[in-house]
Amino acid sequence: MKVESNADRLVTQLLAGEVWPATADRHAYRVDADGTPFVLPGMGGVTLAGHLGEPATGWASDHLEPGLSVRHPDPAANYALQYLSCVGNEVTLVSGASAGGRGTVIGQHAFVLVDAADHVLEGATVGDRVTVRAYGQGLALREHPSVRVKNLDPAVLAAMPGGTRPDGRLEVHVAVDVPADAAGAGGGMASEFANTDLMGAYAGLDDTLSLGLESLRIGDLVVMRDTDHSWGRGYRPGWVTIGTISTGQCALFGHGPGPTTLLSGPAEAFHVVTNADANLSAYVAESRRTRTEVAA
Amino acid sequence: MRAVAVNLAGMVESPAIGPTPYRVGVDGHPYVPVGDGGIVLGVGLGDLVSAALGDHVSPGATVGHPDQPARHGLTAYACVGNPVVVRSGASAGATGRVFGKRGEDGRLLVWLPDEALERLRPGDGVAVRAYGQGASLPGLPAGVEVLNLDPWLAPALGITVGPNGVEVGVRAVVPSRLAGNGIGRPAQQWDVDLAFPAGDPVLAALRLGDLLAVADLDVRHNMGFRRGHVTVGLVVHGDSPMPGHGPGLVPLLCGPAALLRPVADQAGHEGLTTATLSEAPASAAPGRAG
Repeated sequence: MKVESNADRLVTQLLAGEVWPATADRHAYRVDADGTPFVLPGMGGVTLAGHLGEPATGWASDHLEPGLSVRHPDPAANYALQYLSCVGNEVTLVSGASAGGRGTVIGQHAFVLVDAADHVLEGATVGDRVTVRAYGQGLALREHPSVRVKNLDPAVLAAMPGGTRPDGRLEVHVAVDVPADAAGAGGGMASEFANTDLMGAYAGLDDTLSLGLESLRIGDLVVMRDTDHSWGRGYRPGWVTIGTISTGQCALFGHGPGPTTLLSGPAEAFHVVTNADANLSAYVAESRRTRTEVAA
Repeated sequence: MRAVAVNLAGMVESPAIGPTPYRVGVDGHPYVPVGDGGIVLGVGLGDLVSAALGDHVSPGATVGHPDQPARHGLTAYACVGNPVVVRSGASAGATGRVFGKRGEDGRLLVWLPDEALERLRPGDGVAVRAYGQGASLPGLPAGVEVLNLDPWLAPALGITVGPNGVEVGVRAVVPSRLAGNGIGRPAQQWDVDLAFPAGDPVLAALRLGDLLAVADLDVRHNMGFRRGHVTVGLVVHGDSPMPGHGPGLVPLLCGPAALLRPVADQAGHEGLTTATLSEAPASAAPGRAG
């Protein structure tokens, strides 16, 4: 994205985390929108489904968390890990059979979510330790003071299409336009924690539940209409929020594929371009290439 | 099937604040939350939700339990209208009523007469005669669900069950896109905050104790968007500066729009009043075996 920022002033912190187990309780079942009980995998552990660019929905899963689900066992250190990790940050496994393997933060969901190549994921398991190069909180766009940037590695920002237009607005490309009606669980929480579940993406269920969001992919850039995530997530007419889909299929009602917050501000500050290819997969690949060249 | 009553214990709460006193409002301004739980004086049912300068302010006392599963049980089973008796402290013996509940850890909102509230202290014990989950209303059509409501209160709230459905007077009907914190959570244990935009005329007219309808909201199996379903609930706490938060609605009725018909009267609506609670009949002891 062609935009001036304060990226040269940001600080990198190395944070520790570990792959967290999937958890359940002795009652086993949750219920879906129609009251049908289910037991489905998705949260915690190493989930071997849904890389960046792949469908978010259509999996037999609840709260699908692609790749590694990472936490820190100390509550305060965990909040720091969740708040400071940004989309595009590099993650390195430092223990287990995949030690030395690398991945990328794709969002937060009360876990830091890490996508990696299949051979890295196949060798990883619960308890494996990771290091996150946390970098991005504090990012600001010099010519767009009303736009708040959250959870975004500057290298990904640089790889995104768009930028400052001659009319002063910020051009952002998104794959999907999301109505405010879709905002589900996650409303009212801090924008740096977890994500916003989108309702209306219950593939295969009743039409009364659909908001046309069944085709979302992991990593899709989306615009959420009438939504402000500047200082927490909520409904606000005339504001928009840009996010990237970091979690997938949900069965639990009021939940769904979730965007991690990236940009938020008054609608007039943005020029939103709809482009089916607007997906984090391309931007992460580009940011990796740039980072490697800089290191060389 | 007959519904079952349960006597439960709870404890009057102290408001809790973390290591920083500040929360952050929608415009990025820090503020100190006042009135968010505990014993709140000078606020009553019928007050405008925007009248008190505070955060999630509700009248009376909030009641929890030191053990988290017991706290969830208390929140899930107690219903609006249930009798409450103070069991310890200077107000021991005073009686009041549950008028709402709130989510996350779970807590009950309890109305008590002013003289009892003045002598109440965080940590005082209360007993709650929990009755309502699993209960129905006479003649309620299939497809309409009642929850969180002690049935004795239904007539006083103007809930009218007829052969063609349920009619109920409300302050307004609002769209589900206002629903913030509470969406995706179980309505038997959470209220849902309605994030009204600043200057909204319904927000300006809304009062604590009002009935309010939310269009396209289904609360039967968690709260979520469903086109054509309506939820009617009770407004139990005031507005909040936090994004995604606002006046809290405890769902009482949910059904398809054809069978559950809210009748809006933005200027003249009267919801749950202190008089209704204070003049409540002594328990007719529903929910007993025998």
